[in-house]
This record gives sequence, C-alpha cells and structure tokens, in this order.
Amino acid sequence: MKRYTLEELLTVEVSKRIIDDEMNFTGIGTGGKAYIRACGIPLVAVRLAQMKHAPNALCMMGPVLDPLLDAASVPDHNWEYDLIKWPCRSQIPLEDALGIFRLGKSGLAFASGAQVDKWGNLNIGMIGDDYSKPKVRFPGVLAQTDLAAFAKRVCIIVPHEKRVLVDHVDFISGVGHENREGLPGGGPTYVMTNLAIMDFNPETRQMRVHSIHPGVTADMIRENTGFDIEIPENVMTTPEPSDEDLRLIREEIDPGRKFLNAYITSEPASLED
Amino acid sequence: MQERRSKLTSISDAVALIPDGAKVAIGGSLIRKAPMALVRELVRQKKKNLTLYSWSAGMDFDMLIGAGCAKEAWSSYCGMFNLGMAKNFRRAVEACECRFVDLSETCAMDKFRASAYGLTFAISKTPLHSGIMNNPEFKEITCPFTGEKYVAMEAFHPDFSIVHAHRADKYGNVQLDAVRMMDNEMDIYIAKCAKTTIMSVEEIVPEEEIIRTPTMTVLPKLFVDYVVHAPYGAHPNSCDCRYDFDLEHGEYYQKCSDTKEGFEQYLQEYVYGTTEEEYIEKVGGLENLEARLGRGGWES
Repeated sequence: MKRYTLEELLTVEVSKRIIDDEMNFTGIGTGGKAYIRACGIPLVAVRLAQMKHAPNALCMMGPVLDPLLDAASVPDHNWEYDLIKWPCRSQIPLEDALGIFRLGKSGLAFASGAQVDKWGNLNIGMIGDDYSKPKVRFPGVLAQTDLAAFAKRVCIIVPHEKRVLVDHVDFISGVGHENREGLPGGGPTYVMTNLAIMDFNPETRQMRVHSIHPGVTADMIRENTGFDIEIPENVMTTPEPSDEDLRLIREEIDPGRKFLNAYITSEPASLED
Repeated sequence: MQERRSKLTSISDAVALIPDGAKVAIGGSLIRKAPMALVRELVRQKKKNLTLYSWSAGMDFDMLIGAGCAKEAWSSYCGMFNLGMAKNFRRAVEACECRFVDLSETCAMDKFRASAYGLTFAISKTPLHSGIMNNPEFKEITCPFTGEKYVAMEAFHPDFSIVHAHRADKYGNVQLDAVRMMDNEMDIYIAKCAKTTIMSVEEIVPEEEIIRTPTMTVLPKLFVDYVVHAPYGAHPNSCDCRYDFDLEHGEYYQKCSDTKEGFEQYLQEYVYGTTEEEYIEKVGGLENLEARLGRGGWES
C-alpha cells in the first residue's frame, strides 16, 4: 500500500511554493474533483505552509478572507450560510475582494480547466472552433481571466490527459505565456497533474516537466500529453511527503477529508479514480 | 400635506412593465439571492428577446433562457454551483438560440459599477489577449497618461434591474441585513444602473423601522421605482442568513432539465400554471419552507 495519496503528494508540493506574507487565491469551489483541484488541495497547502515556513501567509476563498483552516473551525458544508459563518478575519465587499488582484496583492492563485496548452493558456469557456457556435459550452470564466492577468504566480492543477494538455486551447479564459503584453501578473508558473509537476522554460515560454511523480515514467507523460513536451535529461522525481507532513494533514488540518476528498461538498471524490 | 407615493405593487403589475426586447439586469450570484419570484413572472408572462445582464448567474439565467425569453446573456458564469451545469443555458447556447457573452468577474463588476457611477465605459487590463476579446463590444485603448494598453468596456445600461433584498418600506427604502454574503454586494450597483428598478423584498416594514435603522438602508428610495413583497422570493436560491438553497427542489429542477421536454413540464407545473402565491404553496408553503430551510438567526 502506498504511504500517501495523490492529493497529499500535490498538497505538500503546493505548500512548498507558498511564500510567507503573500495572499493566496482560491475560489469557493463547487463539488467533486473540481473542488479538490481548485480549493481542497490549495487550502490544505496554505494551512500546512502556515504551520511550517510561512506563518504569515493568508488566503482568500471567495469573499472569505484569511479563514481559519483547522479541523475544528471548518464547517461541514460549503453552502451559503456556512461560508458566511466560516470563522475568518475578514469578509469584504466584492469590489474590494476583486480589487486585490488589480492592486498586485495576489501571490499564488489556483486554477483548473478543461484545457491547458503548452503556453499555459487555460480554457474553462467553451470547446469548438467557432466561439459563436460552441460545440460544448461551459459555465463561464469566473475570476480566472483576472487571476491569470494579475496574480504574481498561477498554479494550475489538472488531470494529465491528451484532451486536457493540448497544443492550443479553443478559447483563452486565462492568458498564458504566448502573449502577455500589457498584463502585470506573472501568469502560469506551475502545472500539477497525477503524473508530474511542470513549469515553464523561460526561453521558450513553453511548458516543461519539472519533476516526475514516483512510479511514473517519461514515456507515460509523453503518451498522455497532447503536444511535444520538453522533458529535461536527469529530470528529478517528485519528493514523497514526509511523515510529519502526512501527520499534520491527516490529524490536524483535514482529518474528515473535507478538503482533500471534497466531503465538504455534496459530491465527495478522489483524484485517484 | 399631500400623501406620499407608495411604490408597493404586485409582482405581475411590476413585471408587466417590462416589454419584449428589454435589457434586464438581474441581481444575485450563482444560486444565491436571485430575484426568482420576478424571474418566474417574466417566464409566466412569456417575455421574448430579452437581453440579460448579471455579475454571476445561476438558475435565473437558466430558467429564462430555457423558457425562450432571452436572445442574449452577459455574465461571468451561468451554472448551478454544487448542482452542476446549467443545462438549459448550455443546450440553448450550443444550439445558437441564445448568444452568451463571456465576462470575467471584474469585467462584469466594472460594467455595472461604471454605470452606477454615471460613466459610459470602464477600462480593464483583464481581457487583453483573452477570449473575451472575441466579442466585438470590447475595444483596445491606450492610457493618455502612461501609454499602457487597456480594454474599453461599455457600461451596462439596462432598461430594468430586478434585485431581491431583505426588507423595505412601502416608499422604496430598501435594507439589507448586516450579516450577509459579501459576494452579493454587486446587487447595490445593479439596482442603481437601470432606467427602472424593481426590488422584491422578504418583508415590508413600517417606515418607523427604517428610520430606527438607517445605516441598513443601502438603497434609499430615490434609486428604487417599484417594490414587491415576495417572502421566500429568492426560492429555490438561498437568501443570506435567512434561508438556505432548497437542495431538494434544485435537484428536481436539474432532473427535469435533462431534456427540453422535461423542462417544459417543470415550467408547466411550477410556473405557467401558477401565481407566485400558488408556487410557494406548491413547494410546501411558507411555514414548511421556514422549518426546512430557515436559519431563523439573522441579525439586524
């Protein structure tokens, strides 16, 4: 039996990338795997970082700013009343919350999508060649275009599949490194999947493999990527979570798996299915 | 002294003011506090060719688009939050029966805010190089002071705004509970940017109560043209600390929405063949809703 789950592996890797004093942005999430990727992993990662190297890091979960994230403070559900009553240091009006982006005060922001391309362009808008005649219409871009434009760094968490990691997205809901002229933010910085962690080569501005998860081969990554991805020679293996990290996650932060298996939503799930 | 004018009116009379082809801005966000009583009445009166504006839409857009009332819709989202996709919206947009214009959350906010501030357009860097620029309404401009590139976005100028709130007096002084979902604050701007603003409220209170609590009056009567009394008027949406989303009804709505025919039957059952009072009885009646969904602990 494996010592850790995929959710735990990614949570620890995200937490290492949380910088002290910074504001980290997640949405409020909906349910299932989408919740785990966009909210569950980021929120546990922020709390883990606060306990370790980044005690002054904070996060913004929709209108709930700097929430308490310990097991005892987390509500059972994420319905409206639970969000309003979630113990936190501040709930600010929407215009101020969204203003945080433009003021450059958003550090690491989290995103997911139906498609991500080699430039880090994200798509949660629509699938099809013609915007006016979508083959598949998704709910909408929400704040993704804002965080991709303004956050200092963006961490994208998606399943590693050919139809997700594509050569070029059908619709750009979050701008990557293809053309960022005039955008103040840093854009996509990390792409994390069930197989690997990717970053962006500063010279080509395209996605490359940073580390491969234990048990995964370079060929598996090539086979499941929809473009010719750069895999540097001697690429490192993603480090396994330490016993202490696993203890903090399982005992202090998320014993009910409300975040990492989305039990806080009406649709519990696992990224390993 | 002359009697002051009461702005209190019936749901059907208020909605009858909205003609086919009108531009209608709708308050609420996701499946929270949309003015569903007014939305149902728009469907009941079989409005056509509406253009809809929202900050972040949910069942409100889905129902109006599914019922064939809208030709165009602008928002940062149209989905059912925890209940999944907005199926009628998706079906109609994929069939090109309704145009959807993508906006980010800040872009939608900026377009409402510009209007409520008396401006004709807003500027933003967000849409640069993004799919939002697929819409010809967005135009690049340059800052005359710094030379920075921006996108100009025309302010929303709805003919009507329909917004749900907690309480008001009959003169149209509208209040929100102090403890509320701060993601819904766009409602205050949405109410201020229309030619005509219709507010539905949970409670009508005497003017003395408004005078006792003036800091809660986020929309004094000069911004409000009509007030309708609609207890549980956001149902099945949630309404801040007053009541939760009706999960049971929401799931039924989603099941019916699997097909066009199923949704038509839903509308027959809950909208076309009912008045708003009958709708509330059909979903259990006020007492049952209060027992099932009410939190009873709101603070004023």
